[in-house]
Amino acid sequence: MLNRAIIAVSLATIMLSACGSSEPPQVVEQIVVREPGEPEVAIAAPLTDIALGEEAFQRCTACHTVEAGAPSSAGPNLHAIVGRTAGSLEGFPYTEALAEEDFAWDAASLDAYLADPDGFVPGSDMLIGTVTDDEERAAIVGYLVSLSE
Amino acid sequence: MNDLTPGEKGTKKERSGLSKWTRRGFIGAGVLAGGGLLIGIGVRPGNPIDRLAPKVAGGAGEQLINSWVKIDADNIVTAIVPHCEMGQGAHSVLGQMLADELDADWNLVRVMQAPADGSYVVNDTARMFVAPFTMNAADWIEPTWNGLFTQIARMADVMITGGSSSIRTTGQHSMRIAGAAARKMLVGAAADAWGVPASEIVTRDSMLSHEASGRSATFAEFASAAAEQPMDQTPVLKTADQYRLMGRSMARTDIPAKINGTAEFGIDAMPEGLDLSYAATIRPPVPGTSALRMDASRAREMPGVLQILNMGNFVAVVADSYWQANQAVNAIDIEWSQSDSPVKTMEDQYAVFADALDAAGADGGEEAAARGNAGEALANAASTIEAEYRVPYLAHAPMEPINCTAHYADGKCDIWTSTQVPLMARSEVAGILGLDAEDVTIHHPYLGGAFGRRLGSEYVGMAARVAQATGYPVKLIWSREEDTQKALYRNADTCRMRAGLAENGGLQAYDSVFTQRHDPAEACVPAMYSIPNTSVRVAEAPLHLPFQAWRSVDHSVQGFFIESFIDEAAHAAGADSVEYRLSLLGDSPRHKAVLEKVAEISGWREPAAEGRAKGVAIVESFGTIVAEVVEVDMSDGTPKLANVWAVCDAGYVMNPDGFRNQIEGGIVFGLTAAMYGELELRDGAIVQSNFHDYKMLRMNEVPEIEVALINSGDVPVGGAGEPGLPPAAPAFANAVFAATGRRLRTLPIAKQFA
Repeated sequence: MLNRAIIAVSLATIMLSACGSSEPPQVVEQIVVREPGEPEVAIAAPLTDIALGEEAFQRCTACHTVEAGAPSSAGPNLHAIVGRTAGSLEGFPYTEALAEEDFAWDAASLDAYLADPDGFVPGSDMLIGTVTDDEERAAIVGYLVSLSE
Repeated sequence: MNDLTPGEKGTKKERSGLSKWTRRGFIGAGVLAGGGLLIGIGVRPGNPIDRLAPKVAGGAGEQLINSWVKIDADNIVTAIVPHCEMGQGAHSVLGQMLADELDADWNLVRVMQAPADGSYVVNDTARMFVAPFTMNAADWIEPTWNGLFTQIARMADVMITGGSSSIRTTGQHSMRIAGAAARKMLVGAAADAWGVPASEIVTRDSMLSHEASGRSATFAEFASAAAEQPMDQTPVLKTADQYRLMGRSMARTDIPAKINGTAEFGIDAMPEGLDLSYAATIRPPVPGTSALRMDASRAREMPGVLQILNMGNFVAVVADSYWQANQAVNAIDIEWSQSDSPVKTMEDQYAVFADALDAAGADGGEEAAARGNAGEALANAASTIEAEYRVPYLAHAPMEPINCTAHYADGKCDIWTSTQVPLMARSEVAGILGLDAEDVTIHHPYLGGAFGRRLGSEYVGMAARVAQATGYPVKLIWSREEDTQKALYRNADTCRMRAGLAENGGLQAYDSVFTQRHDPAEACVPAMYSIPNTSVRVAEAPLHLPFQAWRSVDHSVQGFFIESFIDEAAHAAGADSVEYRLSLLGDSPRHKAVLEKVAEISGWREPAAEGRAKGVAIVESFGTIVAEVVEVDMSDGTPKLANVWAVCDAGYVMNPDGFRNQIEGGIVFGLTAAMYGELELRDGAIVQSNFHDYKMLRMNEVPEIEVALINSGDVPVGGAGEPGLPPAAPAFANAVFAATGRRLRTLPIAKQFA
């Protein structure tokens, strides 16, 4: 008699693992994002020009800051540079060449200067800040312009 | 009264000689009455050979001799085996047994996985699973072994590989019979064609020859004619002195492909013509809960994502690649339902066990085994000892991740997966999709490890559901984290044990009570020892984590409980651990011989080396008696495994190299669990996630292992896959006691010396 009970238990152990639930649960929620073979949706928001420009500006930060009121280091603080008269930041030891200029920086002049600092302002010594890549330069200029808006 | 001596074999009844069997009668069908077992042999209507022939003998020139063997025009013999190959070598050894009886040339033998068709139900294994005490048990089982268990097996969907059973059931009973029967049919066909007596025909290396007339032929030449011969279901099998392949370490047929990388495992499935998508899943952290809602806003923006599904009992992302799917599914915020289980930590789980044990007290609970009067004997004993033992939950952690590829189209479903239970998987899928079983095809190649993990098919069901919901062919893979934390487990348990000793230290009484009794039924009974008063009781308690058979199942738990406690009794009696056990094995000569031999090869009786000590344990499981001595090195204060000696008696070992390989594997598996194995719970969820915190023994931590074999008989009565495991933990713990005087009553061991 006990044998039968044991047999029932053993069989039950097999059965237990064999038995599925009575009714498989249905799909609770199904989100179809795209079908296989379709191109992927854009990933998050594409980087804006400003964001790209901020990234590109990183190469300038060794010498320049854009934070209002922060002390200049090797290069002058560029906060509100657009619209500012060239070479006019109080206390910064500009080259004579730049100090004597009296135009106000704008997008075009920034672009021309960054492309060839000594060409645009002969005697200027920001040669290390030359940005030869057009796109990168445009991004930096765009970023600086945006800070002034 | 209970049978306290599992493994004792009654004499096998002589079967009547040749009966008139046709192929129709080869697979008998039994009749089952509800609840109990009914004896009867029926003949299955329909010819399984015709139905199966297209699946297994598709090529031209192939003639299906019977369901287990095919012979083709190139004289290649293919053994069709109904068990899966998960690295244990079953395919090869089953082929070896068939080939020996058939007198085939081993170089011309191949092994093929039997299709997951109901006709390959493993009669013998089903019989073993439902007659746990002994294979050749009471008379009421014997006469109907073929018929009855076909029915039970069909009903239970058994095409099972597990329980260390393939060789000693299918191999010993079906493969050998098939091989011998086929040989006889070939001989009969040649005898007819040559006009000579069958008794004068010799078979050897896939050739038939008649010396007197100088004739010879390959098996292939008579294969077709042989199929017309009457089939003998009870042919005379070879005796051990006639074995040519059996008993020898024939090279395994699956090893070359596994070395050169061409072996295909479930996860390698790349079905032709299908553009697979990949699914990663998250199952509930706490068992029994479900996903109420999900915030997939981040996941849907992630690369490669196709669909995101809340299936209730799991959340899935289907994407172009598995990596993308897994990244995305882990970016979903899932709100899970609340669990009403009181178990949040392992202390809570052990408290649940304790409540059940407290309620059972000294003599309550369900009786698992009883002899004499343990309660009385304990009360009157000269001295008593008692102890409480605990073991934790363990994961299987097979190296091949859990996976399933599913393609559901036009009312049919194809499944590619690694599974130990292909027919069960087939049923599950058919049930979920509302199909007939015939419309579901399971393709199941090699398994990259299982250890019982693949005895369930919940992951197959998941893949089928995702394929159904999306309409895509999809390969679903569980991450290692998912398989460590959301699977099914070897149970934890607590055991309270008492022993009563006589004046001279002799063990007079033994009582144990614990809460988890699954399989095999005899694991909890110290039957080999002659203890006059024994009681074993079960006080059931619920498990927080779902149960799944784990290599050696209950033996992995009870082996540690029993062999550690016997060691305590030996120590209380002031006796040597081996001598004490020998004194209790008076009625078990095979066990005694095994224990004596392990003492001999381990140098048990010699003085211990500096900083080292030895521990011993002996457990019979799945028909094989294994005694192990573990030597630990405690010279730096933490237990290091130095040496392990194991002696095994399985009756007769079919392939010694394969057998040793499996015993060594069982030992390493058992020592890994003993040293590091533990799953902790926090808020009801498993803490461990991958191999950095669910640790394995590394190569530098594995001891030297020596395995010696005793063939006490002519036939294999014991398995190889699991028996090496149960003695490992207790022998290790007993060695630590010998070295330090600290008795370890919990596992794992390393953290107790941190």
